Amino acid sequence: MTELPVEHGLLFAAALFCIGLVGVLIRRNLIFILMSLELMLNATAFVFVLGGALHGNADGQVMFLMILTLAAAEIAVALALVVHLYRRYRSLDADRLEAMKG
Amino acid sequence: MTTLFYLTMLIALLAALQVVRGLNAVHALLHLIVALLALALLFFLLGAPFAAALEVIVYAGAIMVLMVFVIMMLNQGDAAVEQERAWLDGASWRGPGLLCALLLLELGYLLLASDTGSAGWRPVAAAEVGRALYGPYLLLVELASMLLLAALVGAWHLARALKNRRGEES
Amino acid sequence: MAEFAVIIFRALALLLALVLSAALLTWAERRLLGLWQDRYGPNRVGPFGLLQVVADMLKLLGKQEFVPPFADKPVFILAPAIAMSTMLLAFAVIPFAPGFPLADLNLGLLFFLAMSSLAVYAILLGGYASNNKYALLGSLRSAAQVLSYEVFMGLALLGVVLQAGSFSLGQIVEAQRELWFCIPQFLAMVLFFIAGIAESHRLPFDLPEAEHELTAGFHTEYSGMKFGMFFVGEYLGVILISSLMTTLFFGGWLGPVLPPWLWFLLKTLFFVLLFVLLRAALPRPRYDQLMAFGWKCLLPLALLNLTVTALVLL
Repeated sequence: MTELPVEHGLLFAAALFCIGLVGVLIRRNLIFILMSLELMLNATAFVFVLGGALHGNADGQVMFLMILTLAAAEIAVALALVVHLYRRYRSLDADRLEAMKG
Repeated sequence: MTTLFYLTMLIALLAALQVVRGLNAVHALLHLIVALLALALLFFLLGAPFAAALEVIVYAGAIMVLMVFVIMMLNQGDAAVEQERAWLDGASWRGPGLLCALLLLELGYLLLASDTGSAGWRPVAAAEVGRALYGPYLLLVELASMLLLAALVGAWHLARALKNRRGEES
Repeated sequence: MAEFAVIIFRALALLLALVLSAALLTWAERRLLGLWQDRYGPNRVGPFGLLQVVADMLKLLGKQEFVPPFADKPVFILAPAIAMSTMLLAFAVIPFAPGFPLADLNLGLLFFLAMSSLAVYAILLGGYASNNKYALLGSLRSAAQVLSYEVFMGLALLGVVLQAGSFSLGQIVEAQRELWFCIPQFLAMVLFFIAGIAESHRLPFDLPEAEHELTAGFHTEYSGMKFGMFFVGEYLGVILISSLMTTLFFGGWLGPVLPPWLWFLLKTLFFVLLFVLLRAALPRPRYDQLMAFGWKCLLPLALLNLTVTALVLL
């Protein structure tokens, strides 16, 4: 087990989060948006585990487990929706989804 | 050991950059898996081996497999790569890139300026996490299972609607 | 520094021994299949056909390293590498003798589960990179099968973990000094064995890669050494599941008279022979029968086993 200056760990998580954020903002392909979203989730999970290790209790890993559950649930439903959208619009472009009805 | 730490962080950041910049969906997904494995190694180095194992088994081993399944089912091919290249030109990078760089600078300043204590670094083994889950956090486990049940029912319903629609069309 | 060199040496020795055993297993399987199918196996090349292994290796190495022009080249080359490396990595935690696991991790069993989760990618990427509809279908089916049976495998293993009180494989072997776990965890043993067969996609669960189904499934486009790596990866999977069976349920290296590593070898060999016997004896179920069997029959049994174990132990 290594001791790391906490600021470096938090900076790393912030950098990972911002990279994911750039991906969500820029990409038009739905799959890429989902992947960048996963990066953001992982960055926050890292912060939780870092906090748990820093204070020496299991709470960080418990929260990590919850984030994992959340990510799994979200991905399952999101991918089912993506498949639906693909069959409907024949394209994975997020900009195609601009009509409210139909 | 600390060099290993910083090296792994660098690998994770580079892989994440490749995910965001990538043109081919499967290649970008592979880079994402590399980033997740790097994160798992970081968890292991921080003394959270249970989190590391779970990250590989559940995230890299199941959730990413789901995404590979969908990408393969949609099976877009080379036309998609060309389209991505057309969408991702220099102009579209500038605005959001600037905003996110500003955000990163802000976050960096806040995190470096604040005072976090560094007492109590301790590796936390799996048994302790288990005891926490079955002790004070029992309700959280039940809520997580309800969330998963909701996701299961939702995904099943959406898949059934697909099958029904395909039945009507053919 | 010297300790580091010792670890590297032991790791290399283990890797060499594993690849050689996987190669020998190809010969052993063909002879045994011949024995059980009332014919001779390879018996021309060398004494008892042992040099058949060398002949096969030379043939595979000598073939042209062909990547189909329509295939996704980096992923095409990556897939067999993943197949072999994850299987080899999983052997790092298996205790061959007291003090001999290469890395007695506290989470040894979870490490094995992690490696088998990563092995799914070999199938998926192999089928995708081939850019061939039969390969894609075969790989999707195979990946779905492996993923489903991985769930049951994990649940069955949890019974063992409850009984032993630790994820570490060395400690699980130590906890079997009085009684091998095959007796209290009989259901878990059967479940783990069935799930293990599905994991290494051997008969009777090898529908997605059988030669007559979907033109050999996800390794349709592979030839030469890359196919050899898939092949060796599959046999390594067989040896891995067999050694895990002995470690988790049959006492590992525990035994009265012989040296520990010999006991481990004998027990593992027994299970490897069992794998080959199953290949010779059983027919292949259809894909939907396979998945229905898994989810409707094995999952409730695994949960039942876990519940009963927890109730008895608490």
